[in-house]
Amino acid sequence: MPQTTVVGTYPRIGDSHDEQGLRRTIARFDKGQASEADVEAAEREVVTAVLAEQSAAGVDLVTDGQVSWYDSQSHIARGLEGVQIGGLVRYFDTNTYYRQPIVTGAVAWKQPILVDEWRFAQESSRVPVKAVLTGPVTLASLALDQHYHKKRTLALGLAEALAEEVAALRSAGAKHIQVDEPILTRSPEDLSLVSDTLESLASRKGSAELTLATYFGDVAKIFRDLLELPADVLGLDLVQGPKTWAHIAKHGSEKPLALGVVDARNTKLEDPKALASRVRELGGHVDLGRSYLSPSNGLEFLPRERVRQKLAVLVETARRVGGAA
Amino acid sequence: MSALQTTTVGSFPKPDYLTKARAKASKGEMRPAELRRLEERATTEWIRFQEEVGLDILVDGEQYRGDMATYFAENLEGMEVSGLVRSYGNRYYKKPVIVGELRRAQPISVGWFRFAQARTEKPVKGMITGPYTMMDWSFDEHYGSREEAALAFARLLHEEARDLEAAGATIIQVDEPALSARSDELPLVVKSVGAVTKGLDAKTILHTCYGNYEDIYPYFNRLPVDQIDLEMSNSSLDLLARFRRDPLKKEIAFGVVDVHSHVIEKKAQVVERIEKALSLFDPQKLVIDPDCGLKTRTVEEAKSKLEVMVEATRAVKAEHGLA
Repeated sequence: MPQTTVVGTYPRIGDSHDEQGLRRTIARFDKGQASEADVEAAEREVVTAVLAEQSAAGVDLVTDGQVSWYDSQSHIARGLEGVQIGGLVRYFDTNTYYRQPIVTGAVAWKQPILVDEWRFAQESSRVPVKAVLTGPVTLASLALDQHYHKKRTLALGLAEALAEEVAALRSAGAKHIQVDEPILTRSPEDLSLVSDTLESLASRKGSAELTLATYFGDVAKIFRDLLELPADVLGLDLVQGPKTWAHIAKHGSEKPLALGVVDARNTKLEDPKALASRVRELGGHVDLGRSYLSPSNGLEFLPRERVRQKLAVLVETARRVGGAA
Repeated sequence: MSALQTTTVGSFPKPDYLTKARAKASKGEMRPAELRRLEERATTEWIRFQEEVGLDILVDGEQYRGDMATYFAENLEGMEVSGLVRSYGNRYYKKPVIVGELRRAQPISVGWFRFAQARTEKPVKGMITGPYTMMDWSFDEHYGSREEAALAFARLLHEEARDLEAAGATIIQVDEPALSARSDELPLVVKSVGAVTKGLDAKTILHTCYGNYEDIYPYFNRLPVDQIDLEMSNSSLDLLARFRRDPLKKEIAFGVVDVHSHVIEKKAQVVERIEKALSLFDPQKLVIDPDCGLKTRTVEEAKSKLEVMVEATRAVKAEHGLA
């Protein structure tokens, strides 16, 4: 039976008053009525709840929901030397925005960015917590580069810096590290750059399982090349990238996959039975026992109540896939 | 059109009394009629402010709307509203969900248009959240096809535009902030907006913001509207170079104040932006406005930004001898 995992983000608030503590604390912080420590305490309360919800749903490999991340780009970028944070820019095709990193000097790693957050989450979780890192090529593509004026040079610089973060996470005990490169669904021509940068990251991972996550579209054209990259697991969005599905069936994969089969962009609930039967069709081409099922991307685009239902669908689908195997 | 007219994009911040009233009403602690009275008061105040500051084309200020897509969704059959989802930072909204065949039982925004227009001699824009944005910003549990959903919205919004015209609107703005979400769907934007504006006598405007304009540029002249309203103060100068190479054939409303900054622009700064616009566009085809709706600013910030904008426009007009 495949294991289950998530891709990263989790809704940090829900619709009930009890689930909106973080929102209220940040609002008070903005008015000067709460401290940074208050915000951090509120975030950690949410992280604890998010871990509990994933675990209660039966998810095998969870994340901290990226609860303290302002967005997917600036959270990592603001921790690096040579980067400032600019205005809001739309994040891919989502109706969400990120603060654009502005590269003003040589990028370098200063100190751990995610380690404290990861350690807190792992100490609060019964199951393994995956650390999630924005990939250097996606970071380089979405940033405003006022220093290198060449994406490749910037991406290689970022990779060197983020390799230190991978090493720091590994030293802290992280057994699962995920690198997100959604840019591959938009610019498959970045494949070789992802390959070169991932090399740096992979060289520092030790025995941790390294996942390369792609989402927000298909990677059909480069599917076979992706399998050659130095990642232990390849994450795929099979909802916005239905073409990739056919390529898995056609080419197969020796490498375990994280199959993003539950739609994390739409509230419509899948039928676990139908979904499981589609996944089982991949059985002859992929070792499902070593692979994961997951949502198609981070979960923060859905309301929290619906996320709980989607996770139930995910776990039930995996159970059904296993049951028939 | 007279030279360098001034307008705003649509939304204004809600005064404190209305924010508090909305919170109460959402908990059932205030009757709808009482909330409505306060929405009318705020709308009237904003109309008065727009007249006093000297804007040429007014808006109703959207004091009665929470979110621009959700407001339309709440007034359409076949739609529900989801739980809260995050937009960015600490901002959340309730996202619409298409749960069945879309139908418009009655006009949505026409009542508020009439209310606002009755309080001023100046033209008030009719404001429609565009079909592509309605589709892109909704969960779809019914159609299962983005094109089908967008065109279903377009049919209803065309009826809404017709009703706004019948109520006296001479300018109708279609808001498409999602325009640049997926560049491969720009033909669908053109098709669905065209289905809304087809056959209208009113002047039509398309507003968008936060775009990767590089991808969209080739579509500007194909968008089936008379005027394009763009966020400019918050975007790169590359776009201006592009306009120079490949002129826009439509009127343009040019955003000159940043709606996401608390900082009030200096008059000289806004003058410079308007001058930049004038170097590219015929003043008769150039409208000056903020980048986007002002609802995320405080009431005071919004007012100050508009005061600077109108003053700067007057200075530029005087400098160039424009009436």
